[in-house]
Amino acid sequence: MTRSTSFANRRAVFGAAALTCLALVLPACADKEEESPGDGSGSPATSAGGDFAYLGLTENTTVASVLAALEKDYCADTLAAYPLKASDYAQDQFDQQLQLLAPQDALPNLSSGPNAPALAVELYEGGYLVDFSTALAEVGAADALLPAAASVVESLYDGNLIGLPNEFNIEGVWYNKQLLSDNGIEPPATWDEFTAANAKLAAAGVQPWSVAGSGGDGWNITRLVGNYIFRSLGPDAMQAVADGSAALTDAEYVAAADAVNAWGTAGYFGAAPTSIDYATAMNTFLTGQAAFYYMGSWALGNFNNEEENQIGADNIGYLPFPDVAGGKGSSDQVPANAGMPQIMSTAAYGDASKAWLKCIADNFGHVALSEYGVISGFQVNGEVADLPALTQEVQQIMADAPSSVLWFEAKFSAEATTTSQTNAGLLAEGGLSGADFMAAIQADLG
Amino acid sequence: MRQVLGDRKTIAALLAPALITYSAVMLAPMLWSLGYTFFSGSPVRGFTWSGLANFAELFKDPKTKDAIAFTAKYALTITTGQVALGYLLALLYVFYLKRSSTLIRTLTFFPVVLPTVAVSLLFQKLFEIAPATGPVNSALEALGGEAVNWFGSGSNAFWVIAIMDIWRSMGFYAVLLYAGLVDIPEDVIESARLDGAGGWRLARFIVFPMSWPVLISALIFSINGTLKVFDSIYALTGGGPGSQTTPLTLYMYRTAFAYGDYGYGSSIALLLTMLCLVVTVFMFRGTRKDLTA
Amino acid sequence: MTRLPSRPARPPMPPARPPMPPAPFRPPAAGRRARRAGRRLRRAPLALATAVLLVIEVYPLVWLLLGSLKTQSEFMNNPTWALPTDWTNFDNYRQAWESGVSRNLLNSVIAVFPSLALIIVFGVAAGFALEVMVWKGRGTVLLVFLGGIMIPSQMILLPLFSAYFKTHLTGTVWPLILTYTATGLPLTVFMMATYFRSIPKELFEAATIDGASAFRSFRSIAFPMMTNAIFTVGLVQFFFLWNDLLLAMTFTSGAGHDELATVQVGLLSFQGRFGAVQYGPTMAAICVNVLITLALYLFLNQRVMKGMTAGAVKG
Repeated sequence: MTRSTSFANRRAVFGAAALTCLALVLPACADKEEESPGDGSGSPATSAGGDFAYLGLTENTTVASVLAALEKDYCADTLAAYPLKASDYAQDQFDQQLQLLAPQDALPNLSSGPNAPALAVELYEGGYLVDFSTALAEVGAADALLPAAASVVESLYDGNLIGLPNEFNIEGVWYNKQLLSDNGIEPPATWDEFTAANAKLAAAGVQPWSVAGSGGDGWNITRLVGNYIFRSLGPDAMQAVADGSAALTDAEYVAAADAVNAWGTAGYFGAAPTSIDYATAMNTFLTGQAAFYYMGSWALGNFNNEEENQIGADNIGYLPFPDVAGGKGSSDQVPANAGMPQIMSTAAYGDASKAWLKCIADNFGHVALSEYGVISGFQVNGEVADLPALTQEVQQIMADAPSSVLWFEAKFSAEATTTSQTNAGLLAEGGLSGADFMAAIQADLG
Repeated sequence: MRQVLGDRKTIAALLAPALITYSAVMLAPMLWSLGYTFFSGSPVRGFTWSGLANFAELFKDPKTKDAIAFTAKYALTITTGQVALGYLLALLYVFYLKRSSTLIRTLTFFPVVLPTVAVSLLFQKLFEIAPATGPVNSALEALGGEAVNWFGSGSNAFWVIAIMDIWRSMGFYAVLLYAGLVDIPEDVIESARLDGAGGWRLARFIVFPMSWPVLISALIFSINGTLKVFDSIYALTGGGPGSQTTPLTLYMYRTAFAYGDYGYGSSIALLLTMLCLVVTVFMFRGTRKDLTA
Repeated sequence: MTRLPSRPARPPMPPARPPMPPAPFRPPAAGRRARRAGRRLRRAPLALATAVLLVIEVYPLVWLLLGSLKTQSEFMNNPTWALPTDWTNFDNYRQAWESGVSRNLLNSVIAVFPSLALIIVFGVAAGFALEVMVWKGRGTVLLVFLGGIMIPSQMILLPLFSAYFKTHLTGTVWPLILTYTATGLPLTVFMMATYFRSIPKELFEAATIDGASAFRSFRSIAFPMMTNAIFTVGLVQFFFLWNDLLLAMTFTSGAGHDELATVQVGLLSFQGRFGAVQYGPTMAAICVNVLITLALYLFLNQRVMKGMTAGAVKG
């Protein structure tokens, strides 16, 4: 008994010792794996050596795919010395990662911009970001960007061209043609016509709008508020708030939130917007369970996907955001954005970055459109055939639009943006009045 | 003998690895961050001295107040729930299921192993109201009640969070407490039985006092976990609707990393640390007194 | 060697048996059978509770398993409890596998187990030094460790990130191991100290009189006696570390298919743009993870419970 116990004891000690050794050896193995030749530090965002590091969003793989195609098929010669090293990070924590990397001078050569435009401006002012207004000219590609896209980027970043518009999107109301004609409704053009159409649809047992308002997915609802403001108070209304010459708590601003809240209280957004996330809202519209859907043109990919879109791509129509009676804005001012524009690090800016920038400038627009159906803010060099009809329609609308407006939160601080988007679901559910909604955001604008 | 058990070299050799790792990786960064509480700004913008402004802000900020209130409510509810239910489960294992409890023990323990993402997805679906009616609301309707919009208000969402986290962790606490209960010598219980104690009286006068130390450990352990809750709320509600289910950790995280105000974020974290400290010391005293009495 | 108490984790005994109140009213000795029937009747609610408990615990697993066989549109458009239309639809598993579930699992193992080993060895050693060894100031040091339980890990992220970067550890698995070890130590040291407190001091004193050095006492008496405590604490820490998302997100340079991404981080990679979740692959990935953790748990559980019950037979 005694002997066996002490034997067991000794075994336990040996076991523990072995475990400790294992503990020290395992990571060493992992280290070896991690270390790639010519890149001693093995850090994620290293720009030393010839690598071209890219940090994208986990949620958006298009940019990384286009970059890979550029390296392989379009600029194989000029980029041979600068192999692409792409990694990604979840959108939710992306800003945090940028903030941690920048002070270490460890931003990758190219990365997706932060969620909060304000952070990009801070990074630029701290000297961390490349200014493309000079950099593009330097590599001989001064005209690479569509003027409209460039101006969207500039207005987003306080007049600085510090992002590459990897996307160029317009937003508006998409509608289910069939549902409208079944109920004898003409596509509405004003807010009041929309209200009437909503009432008619609701009376017929059709959910008028599909919106998402769970967690931070409420941006599509705040877009309604913001666009209402642009229509009623004119395209400079949100800039006035940013400058401090107007406040969101002013009666004419609150009116916008109240208008959206009124639709919600009437049940036009469905039973519980706070429990609907982005994917569910999209699915609701694409399975014919709602008539209207506010969305950006990046969703064309979903619309053109036959498996996902069960109502058919030719059954979807686009309506500009409606006019508001007596408003100073107009429905041909199209809400536009440039996705999450790509930023370049000054610390890593060298031959690799320049060669890649040149290649991106020359080819990104073409590759993104022809291979991924994504409309970017770059000039498209070369013919692209066989685009889906809906995509062509959107391109036409973009070409025809005389001017554009940003969105509700574009000029907000990160904190106000969060407050706005997380409270949106409540606003659309009738759980929060327009005045309270606006007051909460105004308090965080600082 | 004093010399052997007081041998400095041995003490140093045994203590050094833990103390050095702990100091370097937790204490030093903690103090470093503490320094930031006197600054405003972020690593990107740079830091500027702001004196006690962050602390003044702590007392003014309504969001901090809301977050403290939510954190306290959450910690109290969940700690009570998970330790109480865990204790009941442990009693069930020891006194009812006895040796055959392995399977049940394993199954109830299991939710702890599930990734947070999975559990929150499950509970979102269970308590869903739109576009489809989830099982819970279907059950409510079948019982003649009305479907509830669980994620539409902070107070409703709180109950989903509470149910989820208690469900998740009660099996875990059951195993912890089981270890304590199993320790009660059987002869003590037998002799109490012979003395005529049964059921409730047995629990009240023998089982409960004898498992008290383990219970206190579990409580300290639990309250420190619940005061620092992050993952589960982040995954289930994201702090919403609005900021109605935002605990201090999530508010701190957003302030420091999303809103770029690291100094103020550190101040919030300090507040949270103090909160944990006060609660723990309070409970710790309780145990000590109990142990020496 | 003297017979050691086989159950070190025993909580300190209350000083005396609590006074027993006088026996309550008891029915005169009834027939044995009647009593047994009564007991069975009284136990019926307990049996029912156990059954309900089982359903509550098992349903989610079934739900996960079924969900992992559904397509996105089934998930979206059919009720939650609906059965999958195609029972042999393993597309989700293929997709999950391609996204690097195996890599994520390996990463988790590489990060978590070394940390666990370090936590335990360091923690037991420190617990011994703080509770069994006799020196001035040990109470203070124990309190310093205890303080660590209260530090929210959000607070140490930023300094650690720059420290790891400056020491070129970023991009390796070391930041995770170091941080995991450090964050696991406070609780472990505290619990180990508590366990050591319950071991009679005389044991070590006797060993010392027999001529054992303190280090030998630690190695051949204390450490083996801690086996059960070690497994319990190890289990607790394992699930803390295994489920960690915050540290893993910060110290692995990215999400999903990143070289260092752990299981929890990997699961995020099924999130689409703007929060769109690909339910099927997510659930398939979770199922794979769950099955493997289940196996691991069953293995550990056997060990833990064996230790516990072996000790419990005779307290």
